[in-house]
Order: sequence, then structure tokens, then C-alpha cells
Amino acid sequence: MTATSDTQPGSARAPGPSVADTLRSDSIAPPPPLLEQSYQFLGDAEIPFSRYTDTTFFQSEMEKLWPKSWQWACREEHIPDVGDHYVYDIGKWSVIVVRAEDNVIRAFLNVCSHRGTRILSTEGAGYSQSLTCPFHGWSWDLNGQLTQLPGRWDFPHVSDASHGLDEVSCERWGGFVFINIDPQAATLDNYLDCLPDHFKHFPLEQRRIKLHVEKVLPCNWKAAQEAFMEAYHNVETHNAPNGANAQYDIFGKYVSRFIHTIGSYSPESLADYAGDRWRSPPLTETEQLQALGVTDAAAAEQAEQHTARAVAAAIYREQMSADMGVDLSACSDSLMLDSIEYHLFPNMFFFPGISIPMCYRFRPNGMDTDTCIFDLMLLEPIAEGAEHQEPPEPIKLSIDQSYTEAEGLSWLAPVYDEDTGNLQMQQQGFKTSTRGGVTLGNYQESRIRRVHMTLDEFLDAPVTEA
Amino acid sequence: MSDSNYTVVARTEALPAKSSLRVELKGHDILLCHIEAGIFAVTNLCSHAEAQLHEGKLKGHKILCPLHGAAFDVRDGTALTRPATKPLCSYRVKVLGDDILIELPETN
Repeated sequence: MTATSDTQPGSARAPGPSVADTLRSDSIAPPPPLLEQSYQFLGDAEIPFSRYTDTTFFQSEMEKLWPKSWQWACREEHIPDVGDHYVYDIGKWSVIVVRAEDNVIRAFLNVCSHRGTRILSTEGAGYSQSLTCPFHGWSWDLNGQLTQLPGRWDFPHVSDASHGLDEVSCERWGGFVFINIDPQAATLDNYLDCLPDHFKHFPLEQRRIKLHVEKVLPCNWKAAQEAFMEAYHNVETHNAPNGANAQYDIFGKYVSRFIHTIGSYSPESLADYAGDRWRSPPLTETEQLQALGVTDAAAAEQAEQHTARAVAAAIYREQMSADMGVDLSACSDSLMLDSIEYHLFPNMFFFPGISIPMCYRFRPNGMDTDTCIFDLMLLEPIAEGAEHQEPPEPIKLSIDQSYTEAEGLSWLAPVYDEDTGNLQMQQQGFKTSTRGGVTLGNYQESRIRRVHMTLDEFLDAPVTEA
Repeated sequence: MSDSNYTVVARTEALPAKSSLRVELKGHDILLCHIEAGIFAVTNLCSHAEAQLHEGKLKGHKILCPLHGAAFDVRDGTALTRPATKPLCSYRVKVLGDDILIELPETN
């Protein structure tokens, strides 16, 4: 068995049925965006290792990427009332997101206009009717206007207008509050590309944070996120057969996607993988159903008549509708089961799936090139019109802690530990290798290349004063 | 009604989950907080600038001062963020039937 034609670089695909073939034969068809395919060959040059290890490169990202790109800082439900605020840190930068009067959400640099002190000490959610520097007590209202200046007689050169807080760009989408430290940033709408259109079919506004885990990972932020941008590693790292025929899409400079099916896989796609497991013989539909945690005999009989995928989706629909109080009766098999992952440059991932409902964010850990912070949230659907509850505080895990210590991750915990184990060795290997750079697959790892290309556009751009 | 140094200060119906209630007992201005881990009581005055915490916000196990946003752990009064550095006085709480009781320190 051979792969499909490779006359043009990037045109080859895994042998056997594609993700689109599987989705088209599902018992409940997916919404149109999941049937779209959008791939382009972007080249095959190595990505230099220095981009992951060099402190000068890291510094360049700190000056030219992070203060110029849109990033979500928090969810709207983190700041439901006037006076609620959320502090978001990214490297040396820190931003306060505030819900001000008239339901306007504003964002300011978390720094005092007097002598530069950080105003709010702790990242995360808080509340106050004004923002006050803990050093000398300068204070601003929720619109960032200076309202209190103790000993004003000594500051004739300071006015309320001259020493307001530095406001940064702030917009909302999908229940997230996005910030861009550049006050002149182009609008978020341009940046989101196809996301608003696609996510109309699976709105993230109607979700709640079921779990938030924030862990320090032992590698550069890009290496960490790149481990989550392809399913090519599933066989070796996670000992799982699906993912070898995953679909990869690049929708533009800022947005890409993969879809890898759950509850079905392509034995043909594993043709040149080591060992016969999953290929000779392939898993039966009953065995695939068992792998999804469904073990009763009646379901197994149905699976052999239909597919494991159809049976599992039906069972999940019923169970999860009841658990979450949401009507999932018309939800496609793909949304019920699959790992569908949209990436938004530079560091954000949104999963529209129901049983795989993640949201990821990878960011530098302070000014350390070699570690990063991985925010992992489970975003569970809520009933239409239901009020948002107060979101849970993040469970913080240190670099040495296991995901199994975070209650609520269930079967996902060992999977994330497997990914983390690779990352430490990869960051070390970047420094050992004499090859010079990362080699990427033309198709399966194309999303990684797209991120580096867009990153280059930011880093090469002339720095303008805000 | 008293149980050693415990005194009834409120009925449980007045303090639903995730809410706080200001009560006064023998000159003490006290904030009752009903969080997931139970009912706790701390002094109602911020240890930083003495703003009244009942005008602030209860978030999870934290009470947030309305004036400068200092956060305190209502379970033991610990100051969690600047500008506060000193803890809030914390009081022992007991629930007997529908009554919430607070123990005042003996010196008072």
C-alpha cells in the first residue's frame, strides 16, 4: 500500500480513508465548516533550533510579537460586574482587564504612571471600584482616569489627563476578552479570519469553564504548542492508532486547524509504522467502542451492525445532554467525538467539540526562554440563556508536578503527562543537535510552519512607538 | 442564646451559598462569608485602609476590598495581595440547626 500521489510537494496524504470520508459517512452530518479543506504547501526548509533556545530571539518576541498580537486575557464571566478586573501576564508585560461603567470592558497596562510600579500584584480575578498603586496611593477610576494624587501640591507638572493609565486595545469574541497591547492595533475581527464564521455553528459564548489547569512546562512556548498542533505523534507518544490520517487546514496567516477522528481510524494510514498492532488484524468496531469506554453487549452488537463511532456518538449525546442540561440531539458525530482544534496565532487553541472541549494557551513563563505556562481549560456547553456561574480558579501545577494531581482531568491527565515528557527532552535536544533545525512534514506539520512564517512577519516588522 | 463564648449572630437562611453578610456583635463589625468550604467570619474592616469589606466582593474563598482591591482568604483572614499586608481578624463559627454562632475571643 502506498501513499497517494506526491507529484507536488505537500500533495501526498496518508493511505486509506480520509477524515472527510469518515465525516461524510457519519450518522449525523457535521456543520459545513468541518467539511471544508484548506491546505497549501508552505515550503520544507528547516526551522532553526535557535528560535526555541536563543535569548536574543526570545527578547525579540518580547518586543515585537507579544505587544503587537491579539491574545485572550480572560473569559467574560471572570469579570461579570462593574469593578471586576482580571490581571493577565505575558512575559514582561502585564495587563489589567476591567469591567467599567455601562458594561464597557477596558484594558490597561498594569503599571503606575508615577514611578512605574506594578499596580495589581497578582495574576487572575479581582475586584475594586478603583485601581490604586500600593506604593504612594495614586488612584485611577475604572476608565483609567487619575482620580487621586496624594500630595498633589508637589506635582504641578502632573494632570489627570497626562497621567491616566495606559490603555491598550480590548475586544471580545466567543466569550473571551482579547487584548492587544498596541493601542493602534487593527481590529480583532480582521485577525480572527474564519473563526467567527466557523464558530457560529458551535458558539463558545455558550460555554463555561469546567476546569482550568495552569502548568509550567519544561520548554520554550513554541515547542510546547507545536506538540499540540499535530496528531502525527499519537502512535508513538500516546500508543493510539488514530491521528495518522488527520486532516490539517491552513485558513490564513493567523488561523489553522486539525481534525482527527475518534472512534475510528485508518489501518491503511499505519502502513509503514512499526509493528502490526492495529493493522493486522485491525481493531473491530467492538474494540473501538471499548476504547471509548462503552462496554455493554447491546452497544457492541449495534457497533458491529453500524459503526463504533455512530453508537458512541449516540450514547454520548444522551449522557451529555442529561449531564449538562443541553439539547445535543442534533449534534453531529464529529462534534460529539472528534478532536477538532483551531489555532489562533500566536498561542491560542479552541476546540469546538463536545467531549473534547478544550481551550489552550501557551505563553512564556516570565522571561525564561526554556520554560512556558500552559493554560488548559475545559469549556463545557451551557443551556441557551443560562447564566454564567463564577468560573473555577486555575489549578496551578509546577514544572515537576503531574497532571494526575489536577482533579477533574480524568483520562486526559496521563495523556498530557506523556506530552510533557517529550517536551523536556526536546528542549534539551535543541541544544545538543548539530543539524541546525527542525525538519517538518509537509502536510501533518504544516501548521507549525505557518506559525513561524507569521512570527517572522511580526519580528521583521519595524518597531513603532506606541 | 450562648454556647460558652459562642453567640448567635444570624440565621442560615440569611446567608445563602456564595454570599456574605455583615453582622455586629458587642462592638465587633464582622463579615460572615458562606463559601464552598463552609461559613467563615472575619472582621469587616480591611487591614489596609479600613474600608468596609461588605461593600466589596466575595469571590471563591477570597473577600476583595472595594477600595484598593486587596484580597483576603476568608477561611483564616490571610492577606493575599497588596496593598494589604496584615491579616484580618478571623472568628470561629459554628452552625447549630438554623443558627450561625460566632465565638468572640475571651479577652473581649
